[in-house]
Amino acid sequence: MIQLTRRDLLVGTAATTAALSMGLTPSELRAATPLAGKQAPGFYRYKVGDFEVTQIADGARTFPMPDTFVINQKKDDALAAAEAAYMPKGQVTIPFNPMVINTGSKLVVIDTGNGLGAFEQSKGVVGQMNANMTAAGIDPKAVDIVLISHFHGDHMNGLKRADGSQVYPNAEIKVPAVEWAFWADEANASKANGFNKPNFPNVKKAFDGLADKVTKFEWDKEVAPGITAIGAPGHTPGHTAFAVQSGSGKLLVQSDVTNIPALFVRNPDWHVAFDNDPVVAQATRHKFYDMAAAEKAPVAGYHFSFPSVGHVEKDGKGYRLVPVAWQPSI
Amino acid sequence: MMNLTRRAALFGATATAVIPALATTSVRAAAPAAGKQAPGFYRYKIGDIEVTVVTDGVARGKLMQNFVTNVKEEEVKDALAAAHKDREIFDNTFTPVVLNTGGKLVLIDTGTGEANFAASKGTAGQFTNNLTAAGLSAAAIDTVIISHYHGDHMNGLLKADNSLAFPNAEILVPAKEHNYWMDDGEMSRAPKGRIEGLFKNSRRVFSGDVLKRLRTYEWDKEVVPGVTAFGTPGHSPGHTSLLVSSGASKVYVQGDVTHVPYLFARNPGWHAFYDQDAAMAEATRRKVYDMLVADKMMVQGFHYPFPAHAYIEKAGNGYREVMVPWNAAI
Repeated sequence: MIQLTRRDLLVGTAATTAALSMGLTPSELRAATPLAGKQAPGFYRYKVGDFEVTQIADGARTFPMPDTFVINQKKDDALAAAEAAYMPKGQVTIPFNPMVINTGSKLVVIDTGNGLGAFEQSKGVVGQMNANMTAAGIDPKAVDIVLISHFHGDHMNGLKRADGSQVYPNAEIKVPAVEWAFWADEANASKANGFNKPNFPNVKKAFDGLADKVTKFEWDKEVAPGITAIGAPGHTPGHTAFAVQSGSGKLLVQSDVTNIPALFVRNPDWHVAFDNDPVVAQATRHKFYDMAAAEKAPVAGYHFSFPSVGHVEKDGKGYRLVPVAWQPSI
Repeated sequence: MMNLTRRAALFGATATAVIPALATTSVRAAAPAAGKQAPGFYRYKIGDIEVTVVTDGVARGKLMQNFVTNVKEEEVKDALAAAHKDREIFDNTFTPVVLNTGGKLVLIDTGTGEANFAASKGTAGQFTNNLTAAGLSAAAIDTVIISHYHGDHMNGLLKADNSLAFPNAEILVPAKEHNYWMDDGEMSRAPKGRIEGLFKNSRRVFSGDVLKRLRTYEWDKEVVPGVTAFGTPGHSPGHTSLLVSSGASKVYVQGDVTHVPYLFARNPGWHAFYDQDAAMAEATRRKVYDMLVADKMMVQGFHYPFPAHAYIEKAGNGYREVMVPWNAAI
């Protein structure tokens, strides 16, 4: 047996000769394997009772942290929190993770990602939902219900392709009644903060021509089999979370109760620039996580890291997200 | 409006709610559940090296008595519950990695082997399937590096019919580990039961064609370009960790310095029954984890939840793993 102590032995002529004499195919003579350069398909499955949930990655954006990303904290503190969470120095990464729930009778999409238009514009960085749904074997034409949590583009621009055609032609699109009422009236722009004010035209564009597809739902009502809408306002006036139940299985879908957990689950009193009414959003956050902890229900978070589901536990004045352990079999 | 504090409103009280406007969808067939997890691979870069993490799956079973030899069983169950796991069930996941370093494919540890796929009804022994899903073939593997001689790390060298799983690969093993398990004197002194079984299994696997392709490597030496071996004994006499580095990037492939992090990184003083020399394994564990914390070095843990890639921080009397966020690009 050869003691492998010197690197030269691996690559030198002696090694080749030795390898040949041992009946090995010398690796030098075999073609090099090219780098794959591509990530695995971004989907992940788990069961909630009898329901089959598929988390879908839409991609993630990394960008220099804006000065007012956290409006009620010093930028240095926000940067320090991001860096402590191993984000690139000075930057922040926001992932986007919609989901599909097969209840057995209905195929339900919750939020749609940034859309195929954004896929082109971003050169594939975001707007990956369709590709990843396809990889997961889910046909958008088979989707029965699309639930929209609120009317920000990263949640609803995926309803249409870049050419305006529908991605989910056979689905009923269900939206929070309060959210619809707010964005339908442009006079409400006066009640919107700097981030939300310019969003009115985008809402109009997103739902243009979809009137016969859209129904509006009320909070505390079942909006699909086993899925109940929960009012979680603040981020936007009609921002909605969902409670999913099948048998003894439970899941809370938080939508944007918080943005990225490293900053806002850890520090629930920090106000992200995207929250239209940050004081209401802060109150919602505390109530929601106290409830999740009491229910011991896992939480799916749109801006959590893929596969974007975990348990939220109390930690000091804030909370900590403990991601679920990936299950290689479902 | 906000019913976040009323449990009844969240779960189970809404079965009577009517779902409107089903006319267009109710005539369509329900989409069947997929029933299958996503392909179990994940890619990231270490400098110029492309890493493909490939799961071999999970052995899921009732927590065995004396799993941790120096604490009470209830304490172990409490730790599982604190990690939001079933307190009675232990998930043993297996996560080999493939490196593409300069066109050469290097596999570190093999998983439980093809024969275990059928034996486990597909929950484990998944390595080859997931390797194929990642676009790589077993025949393209140039080098297999083994960390130690426990079956979940090296049984995969052989296919179900006992032929070579990686027919073109050199097999590199720690000299100290190999010499120990092949030593007749050591075997004659080994305690009956588990250790005796490990001797037998090592001699079963490391025979015939495997032995023809075998070379031993020494600690503190570069094993293949970019991969250096470090002695981390205790778990087994010649247990080895491998530091992968390229440019300024490093990842510490720890083998079994700890088993699942939520038990043994959190409680480095706990002795898993599989640690052959428990005191030495604990000393190794503390030394390695203090280094990972001090150097902010990422770890790749064979028994960590997939993709098994984490940062390590000090927490309480032990350590906490922070899983590296899934990167939708690479």
